[in-house]
Amino acid sequence: MTQPPPRLGDAMRDALPVYRAPDSLRSWAQQQARKLAAGQVPPRRNTGLRWFAYAATLVAALALGWLGNSVFHASRRAEDRSGLVASLVDTHIRSLMADHLVDVRSGDQHTVKPWFAGRIDFAPRVPDLAPVGFPLLGGRVEYIGGHTAAALVYGRRGHVVNLFIWPTTVPDETESAAAYNGYSLMHWTERGMSYWAVSDAAATELEAFEHAYGSQGR
Amino acid sequence: MLPHLDAAYTLARYLTHDVNDAEDAMQEAILRAVQYVDSLRSDLHARAWLLAIVRRECQGGRRRRVDMVAVDDVPERLLADTSQAPDVAADDSLMRHRLQMAVAELPDGLRETLILREIQQCTYDEIATITDVPLGTVMSRLSRARARLRTTLGGLLDFEEPS
Repeated sequence: MTQPPPRLGDAMRDALPVYRAPDSLRSWAQQQARKLAAGQVPPRRNTGLRWFAYAATLVAALALGWLGNSVFHASRRAEDRSGLVASLVDTHIRSLMADHLVDVRSGDQHTVKPWFAGRIDFAPRVPDLAPVGFPLLGGRVEYIGGHTAAALVYGRRGHVVNLFIWPTTVPDETESAAAYNGYSLMHWTERGMSYWAVSDAAATELEAFEHAYGSQGR
Repeated sequence: MLPHLDAAYTLARYLTHDVNDAEDAMQEAILRAVQYVDSLRSDLHARAWLLAIVRRECQGGRRRRVDMVAVDDVPERLLADTSQAPDVAADDSLMRHRLQMAVAELPDGLRETLILREIQQCTYDEIATITDVPLGTVMSRLSRARARLRTTLGGLLDFEEPS
């Protein structure tokens, strides 16, 4: 009882660790700083680290929209995909960055679907995919590549899937996959609608999503 | 920026409770810092400036995560970081553990203010800049954070602000 209790600040500095930034983060930051000093733009190389993909995508999408041309592995050119892939990924990222994921937040398809009426001149199909692991988070309206598009937002184990939908005149196409700086894309057209799903989840997850969306209420 | 990386990462860890979220927030913060480094006029302010960016990114990430949680129906408590730094794990004591838990359970606004003050040892002015609130709010948050810890931890610590 003779010892005075330690001060809060001393006890906190004793009990709460000061963390050391991981070496991967440190070396990446150093690289960024060097590039900056050299007057170069941040790098576009993909090292497979997810935050690096993020960086590369940002830079590429902002400065080099045409880059989509060289990385989109699809032979069909029913739509002009060159800038579209980049702007889709760009829109996906922006939706996550700017607290702008959804304009109507609801997991209820019967709330989300009517919300689009009066905002766009087509009615997107909004199936309930929660039973197969893709809970509906909501929707919003986007303008992409000259189209007004419905964006449906589904969750997937901590990832977000943006599904962009707009009317098209091209015939039905089965799905084709694309990858763009670490992001996965899946495209198909069906019954006069063009669909683009974008996510940072694995390509196999997007395939599962396409399958789930296609098989619900078709 | 680089000399303050550990301080920034530490703040991110305490604000996010999660290793991955902390790294995500850090990469975004670094990108922003590199982009806007021109707006930084003095090295004196570099630390507060970087901490402010990191804090903003942590908040953005937290909003996104909470959105996901609401839908996936995962109890938010599960998001709390249960890992500990090795040096602490080695000689953990009941007091340390209780203090860690008490700090982790503080509301975000109080926790960030207390961490900036006691762990990062920022000045009140720096905290006001970093958290974007008036000086008076910093003082009252610190006082409320200490009061909460006093309620939780009782007479185990001396809660008076050193003069």
